[in-house]
Amino acid sequence: MQNLIDFIVKYKHWFVFFLMEGFCLALLFRFNNYQGSVFFTTANSFVGGIYSAVDGVTSYVGLSAVNEKLEAENELLRAEVHEMKRELATHRIDTLQFEGFNRSRYRFVGAQIVNATTNHSLNLLTLNKGEQDGIRPEMGVVCSSGVVGIVFLTSDHYSTVMPLINVKSKVSCQLKEHLSFGTMEWEFGSCRYGYMTGVPLHIKASVGEVVETNGHSDIFPSGIPLGTVESIGQSDDGLSQKFTVKLAVDYTSVRNVSVITNYHHAEKRTLEFLADSLMSIE
Amino acid sequence: MKHETYIRLGRMVLLLVVQLLILNHLHLFGYATPLIIGYMIICCETAVSRVSLLWWGFGIGIIYDIFSNTMGMAAASCTLLAMVKPSILKLFMPRDMVDSFKPTIQNLGLSRYIWYSLSCMGLLHFTFYFLEAFSLEDLLLTIGAMVGGTVLATLISVCVEYIVRNRIEEREVGK
Repeated sequence: MQNLIDFIVKYKHWFVFFLMEGFCLALLFRFNNYQGSVFFTTANSFVGGIYSAVDGVTSYVGLSAVNEKLEAENELLRAEVHEMKRELATHRIDTLQFEGFNRSRYRFVGAQIVNATTNHSLNLLTLNKGEQDGIRPEMGVVCSSGVVGIVFLTSDHYSTVMPLINVKSKVSCQLKEHLSFGTMEWEFGSCRYGYMTGVPLHIKASVGEVVETNGHSDIFPSGIPLGTVESIGQSDDGLSQKFTVKLAVDYTSVRNVSVITNYHHAEKRTLEFLADSLMSIE
Repeated sequence: MKHETYIRLGRMVLLLVVQLLILNHLHLFGYATPLIIGYMIICCETAVSRVSLLWWGFGIGIIYDIFSNTMGMAAASCTLLAMVKPSILKLFMPRDMVDSFKPTIQNLGLSRYIWYSLSCMGLLHFTFYFLEAFSLEDLLLTIGAMVGGTVLATLISVCVEYIVRNRIEEREVGK
């Protein structure tokens, strides 16, 4: 202790000197804008350099921890992949899945109904998407609950849809359980009900059975619901059955729809046309 | 001792008045201003302790700063000069001097006194102008101010020493 005091007393002028100089520099940097800004800028960049150097070192040192974390994450992901594979193996193709989805034959273009009529015999819907969005006439329109209709006319930015509730609309359909074909039609009246005609007399359909698309028309993939059988009757000529069908889509409230674009449609049509023309030559 | 302190206080006030009222308005070559306040430290004898010399230097520097709006610059330079001055004086004063030694022209001789004064003033002006410029841009301008200020301040201090001290001594001798 005595040595320390001796040391301080002996070199006290140095302590006083450094204190005074420190005070002077503090005044200099505090009260002179230029010197202050130069000092603080230099000090900041210096401290920044030190920080980045320290950061570089610590991040390098911390790499092993990061590695461990990644390893653990990999382990977890591997386990998850294994689990998924096991899960996948037990699954089989669901009949609810639309045929052709996996082959990406169908694409869906989202659209909104911007105008609709439901109380005429020739009802039409207007969509806010048109040819510039890839929509062409005769494309199917569906919504989350089922089939909405078929594109009738298109312009650059809009398209009109002939819904199921149009007396000129005819959509090929089938009974989901009996797989019996028919045609979905509508008669002027309630927009909640349509008619499935052309069902052979021997088919014993039950009330509540789902009517869905059959995929023949190529406008819709098979399996999209149109409605459910409400009551069973006979056609006017008595040669086939005619079911009253409660439509799946409520046209008074539907707003968001999807237009199904079938990229193989043109190809199929060309092939069929070729076959027809060859047949007619023979 | 007290008598000495009063003399030193009077000298300090006189130097500050001359510096602030006259020399601060003198800009040699447009920028070199001599800092005669350094004379306050230069003329102190060796008997003055280093700590009190530091206080004197710091005091005159800070008062100059307050009045000339150069906060901290002159105080830092004068304190540095007060710290280094005994070592500089040792280079020029005769070796056999042990007791209190007054750095005057009579004691040192003219040429030695000029060199001593030049070194001290050089250090003071170097520090002051470096702190003022605070960058290496316009280095020539800064060096010009340093050299100009140093030479002028040395000249003034030598003149003052030569005239005033001589007169005081003559008066003392006359008595």
